[in-house]
Amino acid sequence: MLSYAIFSGITLGGMYALVAMGLTLQYGVSRIMNLAYGELVIVASFIAFVFMTALGINPILGLLIIIPASFVLNWVIYRILLTPLVARAKNRGMLEVDSILATFGLLFIVQGVLLVWFGGNYYSYDFLNNAVNVFGATIAANRLVALGFALVIGLGFYLILTRTRIGTALRAVAVDPTSARLVAIDVNFASCFAFALGGAMAAVGGVLVSMFLTFSTSMGVVFTMKALIVVIMGGVGNILGALIAGLILGVAESLVATYVDPGLTIAVTYVIFLLVLLIKPSGLFGRATS
Amino acid sequence: MLDIKNLSVSYGKHAALRGVDVRVDRGEIVVMLGANGAGKSSLLKACAGLVPVHDDTQINLSGSNLTALSAHKIVEAGLALVPEGRGIFGELTVRENLQLGAFAKRARVAEKQNLESVIDLFPKLAERLDQAARTMSGGEQQMVAIGRALMSNPDILLLDEPSLGLSPIMTGDLFKALAAIRKTGVGVLLVEQNAHQSLAISDWGYLIENGSITGQDTAKALQSDPAVQKAFLGLGAA
Repeated sequence: MLSYAIFSGITLGGMYALVAMGLTLQYGVSRIMNLAYGELVIVASFIAFVFMTALGINPILGLLIIIPASFVLNWVIYRILLTPLVARAKNRGMLEVDSILATFGLLFIVQGVLLVWFGGNYYSYDFLNNAVNVFGATIAANRLVALGFALVIGLGFYLILTRTRIGTALRAVAVDPTSARLVAIDVNFASCFAFALGGAMAAVGGVLVSMFLTFSTSMGVVFTMKALIVVIMGGVGNILGALIAGLILGVAESLVATYVDPGLTIAVTYVIFLLVLLIKPSGLFGRATS
Repeated sequence: MLDIKNLSVSYGKHAALRGVDVRVDRGEIVVMLGANGAGKSSLLKACAGLVPVHDDTQINLSGSNLTALSAHKIVEAGLALVPEGRGIFGELTVRENLQLGAFAKRARVAEKQNLESVIDLFPKLAERLDQAARTMSGGEQQMVAIGRALMSNPDILLLDEPSLGLSPIMTGDLFKALAAIRKTGVGVLLVEQNAHQSLAISDWGYLIENGSITGQDTAKALQSDPAVQKAFLGLGAA
């Protein structure tokens, strides 16, 4: 029972970390505080559901379509909805505030469309639902697959950010956008690219989560909140911090759900979050000054 | 060659620069002397595309019109700015800062040679390559900033108060490095408070006051000009 709780916690935590990495990218590089972020996670979950149940395309194959499609969709969202805000913002703080309002509106549009199509019920589908034995715990194969993909994509993302020229350029924009322009980085393009890439990470998270969790049209806000908590807890802009914070939350939630009461998972999330902020206000791996 | 004609910059109603003409040739160091708020930084920022200029301003660099370009394209055209306060990426390592300097397409071909010549110029950086830039001393950070600008393979290098906050020894090293950079054929436009040392290494100097050029001459002539001595060199006050 303990190993099951820990394993399912790690799986859940891996999803949180993956989803949070995308939000880190959108916030850190593009300075867009995307309140509709979780909605895009859920949209991907529903698309995976439609692919599987109506078209017979399994979610792993579905990723091949969903990743590029979500990248393009987020690119378009940035160009149409957010570029005017970027153009008029006198500084990044102003952009942050404006983007909160704009994406708050986007949240309701996306949620409204989902509600019209799918209603308020919980959805799930069967994919690799056979049991597998891992370290004495019986785990559904879909959880293993989801965790595996989260690890590979998270690691790949980390390597791109730290080992490639374009990744280093994205980090440079996050650190100092004015100086980034002085080294020939097109900051507008980089912001758009980071936003689109972050949106694609959200979609991957949505597809992977849908393989083993039930989901509904109103669950987006939960993912936005969890992702925000993970980002802040890990230290804003810190990828490794997001990974560890995600895992801590996932395992803690899973342990509490198994041994105490499933209704307390949100409560324990906030208790841990507040404790971290009390002890280290800039997050686990954050620095007080920037 | 950088040719600035009739450069005017305003912030709202406040005119920071009024019709300034400045020329910098390759292989020379030009220094811009002036008090705080005279418009020196605005001049450099305008060249780098960081602040908007008036419509009748012309800034040409080897044939391309910089006023029509955005900041990142200006680097591609061959102009690199080391901004006031250095503007290095503190969270990134020295190596990453230098690599980013070569982000411009014009710099990619010669990236390796440029990195070697930056290390030759600032040997201290060699042992610090994998250190986060923010953990270094002010002088070392200035080396990173200048090194990063040189990595873009510029024709013209602009420096905004590079000696600010440096120890006298560091400042001496810095000016020696600038003289070495001139030898490679790069043109340097320097904004400085430290008139004494900057005039000593410069070829030409401009005096700027309230957004206008009030005088220009060879650096040598400016060094012995009584008005300059009084205003900037702390000599001959009477």
